[in-house]
Amino acid sequence: MHKPIKTSQDINTCTELRKRERVTLLEILDRVLEKGVVISGDVVISVADVDLVYLGLKVLLSSVETMERLRGAPFSGAAEEPT
Amino acid sequence: MNLYAYAIIDSTGGVEESIRGLLGAPVYTIPYRDIGIVVSDLKAQAQIKNEESVLKHEEVVEALMDRFTVLPMKSYTIFDKKEELLLKVKEHYEDFTENLDRVHNKHEFGIKIIWAGNVIRERIALAHKNENAPAGPGQPGAKFMKEKFEKYKIDKEFEEEADRCIAIVDGFLNRYVSEKKLEKLKTDNLLLSAVYLVDKEKRDDFKKAFKELKGSGGDLKYMISGPWPAYNFITLSRSGDGKSAATKGAQL
Repeated sequence: MHKPIKTSQDINTCTELRKRERVTLLEILDRVLEKGVVISGDVVISVADVDLVYLGLKVLLSSVETMERLRGAPFSGAAEEPT
Repeated sequence: MNLYAYAIIDSTGGVEESIRGLLGAPVYTIPYRDIGIVVSDLKAQAQIKNEESVLKHEEVVEALMDRFTVLPMKSYTIFDKKEELLLKVKEHYEDFTENLDRVHNKHEFGIKIIWAGNVIRERIALAHKNENAPAGPGQPGAKFMKEKFEKYKIDKEFEEEADRCIAIVDGFLNRYVSEKKLEKLKTDNLLLSAVYLVDKEKRDDFKKAFKELKGSGGDLKYMISGPWPAYNFITLSRSGDGKSAATKGAQL
């Protein structure tokens, strides 16, 4: 049985789908981490060491900074913003 | 046991039992007067600092959006007692009801438009260079000032070009929206990052207008996302006294 050969069109479609998934995930992260109603719960979870896949993204870094602001403590050891 | 809060809704109950929250926990409503806070129980030591929980948060909010008007909470809003949560809700009850009224039957759409900003900037710079006579020998200070002024003119023209494009795009979409927030040139290539609040009845018209815009040709790239709960249109006062602070990430 021969393994089906991927055409360049298949590869392009896969790449396009992956790109779309990433964009959708970014849109979700941008909203859920950064927007919405903030009422300070009395249990505050630190997200400075949050183990998200998209750690290098600006959206996450800014969220971490926001959480630190809410917590009233400086964020130490932050990665540089991606350029 | 802690409480993880997902959203505030315009109902005191009726959340479907099939909706599961973080770590598979059932989602339920804690009523306060005529509104409800949708929560699930969360063990104190539970590990939720991951991408999966962020996506789950959004999944729950989207499931609620089908049946209720929703004010999504920011992720990781956790209380250790029901009483503490109710105290906060009591404090900001008027804010919540005002916002629920404002976003009732409306959803948010995200629009991003990308252009070849670097190419456009270069084109403008080149046009300026061709217009100007070659600089002769002069005082170094004068040369510096001239260069600064040239850069200012290029930046200004670049922004004017962006304003023209955004006006066209926004003109297409504006008639179908009740509120909007536009951000110009977050980067040179991200011409527009916008969020529009659209009435449910006008949703199809809005999407159609976007499709027309996208099909109109040109070098711009268009992206749309949504419908989302109105994450970007919640405006709450900081003090809870009902005075709108009109902040982007409504903080109390």
